[in-house]
Amino acid sequence: MSDVVIERGIAFLGAILVGITAIVQLKNDWAARGLDAGVTKVLLGLMALGCVIALLAAVNVLGVRT
Amino acid sequence: MAATATQRLSGHDVIAARYHDVDPVYAETRDLRLLGFVFFLLSDCILFSSFIFAYVYLRISAPAWPPFLNGHQLPWFDTSFAAMNSIVLFGSGVTMHFALENWKHLNKAKFNAWLVATIVLGIGFLLGQAHEYSVVGISWTGTTMGASFFTLTGMHGFHVFVGVLYLTILGLQANRGTYTDSKYFGLTAGTLYWHFVDVIWVFLFFLFYIW
Repeated sequence: MSDVVIERGIAFLGAILVGITAIVQLKNDWAARGLDAGVTKVLLGLMALGCVIALLAAVNVLGVRT
Repeated sequence: MAATATQRLSGHDVIAARYHDVDPVYAETRDLRLLGFVFFLLSDCILFSSFIFAYVYLRISAPAWPPFLNGHQLPWFDTSFAAMNSIVLFGSGVTMHFALENWKHLNKAKFNAWLVATIVLGIGFLLGQAHEYSVVGISWTGTTMGASFFTLTGMHGFHVFVGVLYLTILGLQANRGTYTDSKYFGLTAGTLYWHFVDVIWVFLFFLFYIW
């Protein structure tokens, strides 16, 4: 198995795991109030977006070089 | 399901009540320190934005990308390795979030475990970046691509390095009793900083490895 397949496999599984966890945490913290909670929610949302990008890169939808 | 939601809400209420149950002077300075810290993160955001806009400008005004050096076109960056390394960093954001949540729920053992996991993942990301630098096939000098890449990812890597030190110090302080169940602003700031470093990487990952 090539290094690329292993790297993409880890990225794929990790993106699902981390992305879902980030979204669940975002949902759990949704009711929290305050500046720190607000900033945390924005940052968790962007991190979940990062997981989606990494997931799409892992399955060759994004970052395809011709 | 309803019972779980009630427990969760009551959990938030319990933490909020404990959080506000401090002397007025501390509560006021905590709010000001938090505001100051958010301004610090915003200023860091402007720093990264400046370099990112410079990179975007250089890239869209270049006749070809990757640019040519000595008649040869430079290689693209390795997306698959970067995707894996990104997940290491994003994972550390989640573990840091768990660490703070466990502190809020007065579970010190789990706090320590998640904090150590965060630090280990942060070091793992830095080692991944070091590997990337060793195989990337371009240098800082000679092309705008190399200069932009090493400047931005180097600056981000420095932030991760500082974050690892920061979290280590926070862990030591927490175990020495610096923070209590109602006074833990340092841990909140550390978590915000680490999330910020994660989010900056989302943009860098997209710009260098996806775009």
